[in-house]
Amino acid sequence: MNRPATPYLIRCSKLGKRFGDTPVLEDIDLSVAAGEVVVIVGPSGSGKSTLLRCLNVLEPLSTGTLEVDGKTLGARGTSARAIRRETGMVFQQFNLFPHMTARENVMLGPRKVRGQSAKKARATADRLLERVGLLDWAEHLPRELSGGQQQRVAIARALAVNPKVMLFDEPTSALDPELRGEVLQVMQDLAAEGMTMLIVTHEMRFAEAAAHRLIFMDHGRIVHDGRPEAMFANPPSERFREFLGHVK
Amino acid sequence: MDFRWEVVWIAMPQMIQGAQMTMQITLLGIGGGLVIGTLCGLIMAFRIPVINWLVFVYVSVIRGTPIVVQAMFIYFALPLAIDVTLSGFAAASLCLALNAGAYITEIVRGAVLSIDKGLTDAGLALGLSYPQVIASIVGPLAFRRTIPPLGNQFIISLKDSALFLVIGVAELAQRGEQLTAQTGRALEIWTAVAVFYLIMTFTLAMIMRLIERRMTIL
Repeated sequence: MNRPATPYLIRCSKLGKRFGDTPVLEDIDLSVAAGEVVVIVGPSGSGKSTLLRCLNVLEPLSTGTLEVDGKTLGARGTSARAIRRETGMVFQQFNLFPHMTARENVMLGPRKVRGQSAKKARATADRLLERVGLLDWAEHLPRELSGGQQQRVAIARALAVNPKVMLFDEPTSALDPELRGEVLQVMQDLAAEGMTMLIVTHEMRFAEAAAHRLIFMDHGRIVHDGRPEAMFANPPSERFREFLGHVK
Repeated sequence: MDFRWEVVWIAMPQMIQGAQMTMQITLLGIGGGLVIGTLCGLIMAFRIPVINWLVFVYVSVIRGTPIVVQAMFIYFALPLAIDVTLSGFAAASLCLALNAGAYITEIVRGAVLSIDKGLTDAGLALGLSYPQVIASIVGPLAFRRTIPPLGNQFIISLKDSALFLVIGVAELAQRGEQLTAQTGRALEIWTAVAVFYLIMTFTLAMIMRLIERRMTIL
């Protein structure tokens, strides 16, 4: 019997994570449909980043289940690696490989994960570098690039393995304000092309402009989950209103 | 001061032989030490269960005892404990390899641990396997960071080989001792021996500098 195509790219239920005795995430039920752009906000320590890291199993889950693109973590034939192959991740600190040029950074995934030939991987890399506006910088090492450029290379690198979902962990928090725009623009273009995205950020304007869904987390739980326009116009709780007051 | 150059001249062939022996022992010692140290360093850095305790004991024993004692033990005590008799040369090379290996273990462990965890995350997030992350990312970066401390260790090992005169290996220092006894000219002989060591350590330092420069430490 054929399995019905799941309408959700990501689905987790009762997901929990504790570091030692400290619970960081509790009872997270979250489903993300293909093409959805979800912005996750919340005070620091609310578990936003940990949630993203659980979704591609950089942090092993303590409890609950996780399904990405129909693959259930822990099921036969589904390793953490199989899930990571379907999810791209962009980090706050860029984490570009410092001994590789921009092009080599982007080529590594296609080469090692998708088994592409050097020639094909190079073509993939150049196409993506062009897309983030950095083809002219392909031969440069990360340290020769600005923060904004590094983050755009990091986005190209994550896209190069053809992920179904992109996870962004505070992608602009380490950038000077004048460099944030170029990164947000790349993200907005991605969203417009229909990429499924989960974004932890403090950029409320980006949330307003590009997000279909806004999730508010506090103390390791999802407190609100709704449409951003509605939530901004009419904050559903005093706690959220207070939070907005701090970040806006 | 009466420095008689002809003494140095006459002693030269023997000192060159001694220097050659010193270089052979040093090369075998640091070569073996690199193999041992790389292996043990990775075992320690990645906390491979059980064997990391064996490595810990090994490093502790070597770091906790003088190298003279180690040489004496391998050359004189080992044949009594287990039925193996090593030539002076073999004992010296083995001793130096074991000794350098312990220190290189720490160099490799430190270099691996100094690599930003975020880079491992980035590699894993791409879908690379853990061995691939080590081969493509952590390994090359850590390797670059071992170069300066390795150079230091190589020079220490070269100089440490001098104490194998206690087990009668005809390396440079032992030749120096013999030549002094034969000629009674301590000033000339030990000056020449010192110059020989300086030339060797300086060359080694230059080689490491060159490697370092060609490889921009990141």
